[in-house]
Amino acid sequence: MTCCSDNVDKSDPAPEGQSSRQNSVDKARRTFLIALGTAAVGIGVGYALGYLTKPAEIIRETVERTVTVTRTVTVTPTPTPAPTPIPGLSGAASRAIAGVRDLLNKGVIAPGTTIRILHVAGSRANLEKAIELWSKYVPEVRVELITLGTEPDVYTKAMSEAVTKTGAFDAVTIFSTWLGDIVEAGLARPLDEFYARYDPEYVGPCAPIEPLGSYVTIYKGRRHSLALDSDVFTLSYRKDLLTSETYRKEFEAQYRKPLKVPDTWEELIDMARFFTELRLTAPSGGRVWGAYFYLEPAFAAYITWFNIFVEAGGIPFDLETMDPKVESPEGRYAFDIILRMKPYMPPEAISAAWADLYDKFVKGETVFTAAWPSLTKEAMRPTSAVRGNVGTALMPGVEVEVGGRRIVNKAAPNPVNWVGIVSNYSAHPEVAYLFLQFATAPDTGLDMVLTGVILDLFRACWFTDPRYRAKSAEGYGEEFLDAYMRSIEISYPDILIRGGTEYLSKLTTEVNNVAAGLKDPERALSDISAEWDSITKKYGRDAQLEAWRALAQLFPENVKSVWRAKGYMK
Amino acid sequence: MSREMARSVKLLATLPLNILLNAILIIPFAIMIYLAFLKWSPAMGIDWWEAAFVGVANFVRALGDARFVNALTNTVIYTVSTVSIEFLLGLLLAYLMLGEFTGKKAVLSLIIYPLMLPPVIVASVFYLMFQPYGPVNNVFLRAVLGDDALRITWFLNPRLAFTALIIADIWQWTPFIFLILYSALSAVPRRLVEAAQVLGASSFTIFWRIRLPLIKPLIIVAVVLRALEAFKMFDYAYLMTGGGPGVSTETISLYIYRVSVLYTDISYAAAMSLVVLVMLALVIRLFIWYFFERVR
Amino acid sequence: MEFRIVTKALKYIVIGVFALWTLIPLAWIVSLAFKSYAEWRVSYFVPKNPTTDNFVLLFKPEELLGRYGVMGATAIIEPATKPLINSLIVTAATTFLAVFIGFFTAYGASRYRAPGPFTLFFTLLTRMLPPAIFITPIMVYYSNLGLLDTYFGLVFLYSAVTVTYAIWILKGFIDAVPVEWEEAAMLEGATPIKVVFKVVLPLVRPGLVVAGLFIFLLTWSELLFALVLTNISAVTLPVHISKYVGAVGQLFGPQAALALIGSIIPVAIGYAIQKHLVTGFTFGMVRG
Repeated sequence: MTCCSDNVDKSDPAPEGQSSRQNSVDKARRTFLIALGTAAVGIGVGYALGYLTKPAEIIRETVERTVTVTRTVTVTPTPTPAPTPIPGLSGAASRAIAGVRDLLNKGVIAPGTTIRILHVAGSRANLEKAIELWSKYVPEVRVELITLGTEPDVYTKAMSEAVTKTGAFDAVTIFSTWLGDIVEAGLARPLDEFYARYDPEYVGPCAPIEPLGSYVTIYKGRRHSLALDSDVFTLSYRKDLLTSETYRKEFEAQYRKPLKVPDTWEELIDMARFFTELRLTAPSGGRVWGAYFYLEPAFAAYITWFNIFVEAGGIPFDLETMDPKVESPEGRYAFDIILRMKPYMPPEAISAAWADLYDKFVKGETVFTAAWPSLTKEAMRPTSAVRGNVGTALMPGVEVEVGGRRIVNKAAPNPVNWVGIVSNYSAHPEVAYLFLQFATAPDTGLDMVLTGVILDLFRACWFTDPRYRAKSAEGYGEEFLDAYMRSIEISYPDILIRGGTEYLSKLTTEVNNVAAGLKDPERALSDISAEWDSITKKYGRDAQLEAWRALAQLFPENVKSVWRAKGYMK
Repeated sequence: MSREMARSVKLLATLPLNILLNAILIIPFAIMIYLAFLKWSPAMGIDWWEAAFVGVANFVRALGDARFVNALTNTVIYTVSTVSIEFLLGLLLAYLMLGEFTGKKAVLSLIIYPLMLPPVIVASVFYLMFQPYGPVNNVFLRAVLGDDALRITWFLNPRLAFTALIIADIWQWTPFIFLILYSALSAVPRRLVEAAQVLGASSFTIFWRIRLPLIKPLIIVAVVLRALEAFKMFDYAYLMTGGGPGVSTETISLYIYRVSVLYTDISYAAAMSLVVLVMLALVIRLFIWYFFERVR
Repeated sequence: MEFRIVTKALKYIVIGVFALWTLIPLAWIVSLAFKSYAEWRVSYFVPKNPTTDNFVLLFKPEELLGRYGVMGATAIIEPATKPLINSLIVTAATTFLAVFIGFFTAYGASRYRAPGPFTLFFTLLTRMLPPAIFITPIMVYYSNLGLLDTYFGLVFLYSAVTVTYAIWILKGFIDAVPVEWEEAAMLEGATPIKVVFKVVLPLVRPGLVVAGLFIFLLTWSELLFALVLTNISAVTLPVHISKYVGAVGQLFGPQAALALIGSIIPVAIGYAIQKHLVTGFTFGMVRG
């Protein structure tokens, strides 16, 4: 059995009287030409097949697209359309519909145009609701959804599109964390022009709550997205356990402090310890743990560490040099808290996927936890073991000194917020934008957010305006709303400059290493520092610094004031 | 016998393959190789043909990257462990299944069933089974170890996590080797087997001395193909451990995936892939030389 | 005598143990398919509240609108019928194409050493690449060719990367067919092509079947390329399975249900081809 022996002449094995150098050179040349020829033939065949097998409608659409583009050139730029209020719709939604109508009437887009939106499966219900409402007013413009299973899939497709520029979709729902990457890759169209023309109501009583409204939509000073969602963490806790008389007395006896909603991480650790040591059993049969905060390796471990770090007054990058500033007292403190909290968290916190935190809390197996608003919604379901016993509070803070006074600085993480961007390679960017504006308007937006689980309230009037409040309360429960609104006001963004995912992913790995006991905090901090620095170098220090400076300005006031007090910010 | 090739046969033997491979793979392959010598990532906002040429910088970086070396080491250990165990099990099973018995068809279908499932679902299922609340701890190990079993946390301990991945792989892929070996063993000429039986050889001897040597090439094929697949293992690490704890179960496929998809550092990922490719190619070449060409 | 009985018993015990080992995770998948959310993360096999909701969600999602109590998975995905059909078309086409090309290549490689060693080695290279890095180049290439989101695009790519299996497995089987039999046939007047079809092909049937089965299975469950190269029209089964992700992570129940349904076809094929896995070279096959 022989194969692949180098001794065998490649093309013709008949050995008798055929070997001469000239012959083998000829053969080599022939082989090369044959290979080239078949490659050319193959590619030709590929092209032919590609063209012939394109569904007829795509060929027609490509032709139509060309026609449309030509026509747009000959039309004078559209002036701001006179707002023709549509009965029953709020300002932003009304202007969106009026805008589309206008484009249709002017022939800029043809009836039957389809907008494609790339999104993740979890948001399908929300988008379908928006489409349902949209079709009532503008049935001529169809909206199609390209659904993918997980967020990395959406990210992959979006980044691939940035390279291949196929125009396969017109808008994408992305995580705010990716905003820097997507903008710098050239995929996200700047939207300032559309904001000015159609006014999505980002100022006023119904604007998205600041600072969130700004930091998820503004990159390097320009608007690149529309907020679809808010994803701010709140502290969820077992009200029944915290208000129980027996436990209050016991806790006070043991710790000489009142049992109440913890204001600082230190307080939380004590309470977590207390409940863990009680060795309670949940209705599911599992053990009850005092706390569960994200430490898992796939992506979420950074949330907990970064939260404590920022509250303690830490700043991730120096505002003058872009040097990482994690090897600081704040960084060490964050690890200190995590390691002290770890014994009172279930061991799976370090390895299980992020849904495990939800599962445990809903089954009644954790006392203090923090996650996205969807956790509160889940805990409210009839199948939840803790229904009716869930309290919501701001994330615990850290005691810092500002202006000579000791205060408790609280800040809420806003990890991975959904926003909508318009593709630069879309054939109908304006329509895509208008759909997004319509879907996120004060009235239609609320319906969209409440239909489904993964999108959450982000406009102020949804909390304050009595017209909307009832609906919101139905989705989340009354007492959640006030705590949540306050949390948004002290929320801060992910590091969403270019390379954001990479910075945070490296941070997650190291935090998980420390939590798992595989690395000691000092070493981890210096590794994070080194890794972050190499990422910065890769993209260019100046470019990153510019983006970081712009982002740092959008952090909440309380965080910035601590930065100023510490001299990190001027 | 005339060794001159019939034109028609030669054409059929080479042309379709050439067209297929050349048309589909050559150009992307060339692009990939080119990318490895650039400093480029989509997030830089420039097209890849405009990016700066940096020579072997990416390769040098890869060789000095501790995480890359770690991923490679993990993958090598993983491949060697899974393939050797699967080979032994597959061979044993193929031998045992050679005769006829009632219900053989059903048993065979059952044995090869794991191949019919997408690795994604197998990974999810094993993920659930190895959790502290899952059946592995609570049902099976408890029967053996008592309540101590409840304290084993598979995905918290690097070694245990690794073992869990290996177990998942063995469950799904032993049938692969089994199937190749089984069909190969069955294809051994019956007259040889009958002749040996007439001469009084035991079934084991027949197996060991007649069937096995005759199918040696297919054994090599089975092992090499399986090893190449095992080396590229992604789904189990991604869904069961996420590479964790830390990066102790991060395989090379997972790391390259993260670098190219999450960090969009495509040039670097391409360089790493090429390094892996060269390494594997060398190993396979040596392997083939040793088994096919040295022993005549 | 007793020794024989003991070995026989041992043989059945070992087979039985292996069957059991295979059965357990399989039983877990089946149980997941009938469990609702609350029972996915548990340690017992038999659901306390069995439900067929998972299956309903696969094909008639509208019926579960709002009622589906799985972590608010009101994300209604399209029915799984089109992805199943797409997968069937793409996989069948790939298998035939790859086995066809692979058989002839293997024959040439075995008998005449054409294609040469480098080409053969290159085919192995296709299996050595971590797929993740191939995504961007293939996307760029396909988008230029217009092959994105088409059956042809997928079939060609899958054939190109799986033809290796066909070549190497078939080569192993063809090598085992004695050359003398072909020569005998040619002496009787058969043309070379006829020799291939009438002499070699039947004898390597197990090889064809095994290679075909593997290529079928590999393609049936391929995820990464399908994810990147399809959008709407050519979505295949694994991509569709990956979409069953609710608000809080994977929906194990529906995924298990779809995986089970998706495995019916491969299992049927596997069962049907069993008798072809065994030929036994017998006299009397070399005729005409």
